[in-house]
Amino acid sequence: MTPQDITKLIVRTSLKDRSAFDQLYRATNAKLFGVCLRVLNDRAEAEEALQEVFVKIWTKADRFAISDLSPISWLVAVARNHAIDRIRARRKPTVDIDTALDVADPTPGPEQQAVSAGEGDRVYRCLDELEEDRAAAVRGAYLKGESYAELAERHGVPLNTMRTWLRRSLIKLRECLER
Amino acid sequence: MAAAEYVLGVQPLDERQQAARRVDTEPDFARLVDVWEVRLAPLAAGYPEIEAPFAVKQAIDRRLSRNDRKRRAGFWSSLVLWRGLAGMAVLGFALALAVPYVLENRSQTPPVRMVASLAAPGTDVQYLAMFDAQKAELGLSHVSGEREANRDFELWMIEPNKAPVSMGVIPVGSTAHMTLDQPTLAKLAGGAVLAITLEPPGGSPTGDPTGPVVASGDLRQI
Repeated sequence: MTPQDITKLIVRTSLKDRSAFDQLYRATNAKLFGVCLRVLNDRAEAEEALQEVFVKIWTKADRFAISDLSPISWLVAVARNHAIDRIRARRKPTVDIDTALDVADPTPGPEQQAVSAGEGDRVYRCLDELEEDRAAAVRGAYLKGESYAELAERHGVPLNTMRTWLRRSLIKLRECLER
Repeated sequence: MAAAEYVLGVQPLDERQQAARRVDTEPDFARLVDVWEVRLAPLAAGYPEIEAPFAVKQAIDRRLSRNDRKRRAGFWSSLVLWRGLAGMAVLGFALALAVPYVLENRSQTPPVRMVASLAAPGTDVQYLAMFDAQKAELGLSHVSGEREANRDFELWMIEPNKAPVSMGVIPVGSTAHMTLDQPTLAKLAGGAVLAITLEPPGGSPTGDPTGPVVASGDLRQI
């Protein structure tokens, strides 16, 4: 399905066309479930979150029109934001990282990086300009929805140091992307 | 930096909720968030694709039909409905005047008249649409809600499982009349849904709706 096809399905969904919504679900549920699983690390919770994500898509599809995102990126953003809200609201983080996912660690390996080269090329190149552990922190935060607190603990630095690290990294990233 | 941090997702819950509120209330902040979403979007290539179990889709369908029922229940107490009924009362009066004429013409073509109250949750835009198969005409009465500066209202016809078809930009004013061609007439008589979206001046540049739906509704026989 091309991005244009997905755009049409989102627009028709915003007009409450149920069959367009069903097609949109078929075309994108795997990616959005991947997002929920990766962030929440718990199958039952990810399934619950995915339901909420698609209900949101059904009710807020008209907001797509005011975004500059590609259709699939917009859908991923809805799913990611929802999953991160959920994990932040959760009291205790799940400890058994990756056991909930019966797939290999999906942090982009060389293969996936090659696939995403193209439009994604630049952000990866810009991440490479950062120090290795900071680039890893940015990537971990984005993909797993890790909080400042979790990142600080994992990297063994105080919370405020982690904030400073990430803010500086984001500024550098912006400078690099705007070059 | 708050926009970048929000997109990255690293903030604690309270800061995140604060940022989410700003997205809803501050257009400049919302734009910054969008810019960061675009910048970081390629990282999403790192997410795996895993087909969700079938039960998830069934649960979504159940939730959507529940919401639908709730919406219908809420409909009876909504302001829009009462405004709509007030509009209908006016229309009913007009019809009463027209009945002798309609009866007189019944023998030639079956008169098909339908009305739709076009409205949507979250907006105050409301139109009343009157479809007259005999005159091959669709009349629109503006009930409430103004278009944003530099934006036009565009009317769409949507048949089940088909892409919306533009019926043109709605002229500013309290009433508008559109002449319908034969295929459009047949589709409307067959139960197509009408919707109004907010579009750039002169209408959607793509031929498909690009702006939010501000009102919609289906035609009902009267």
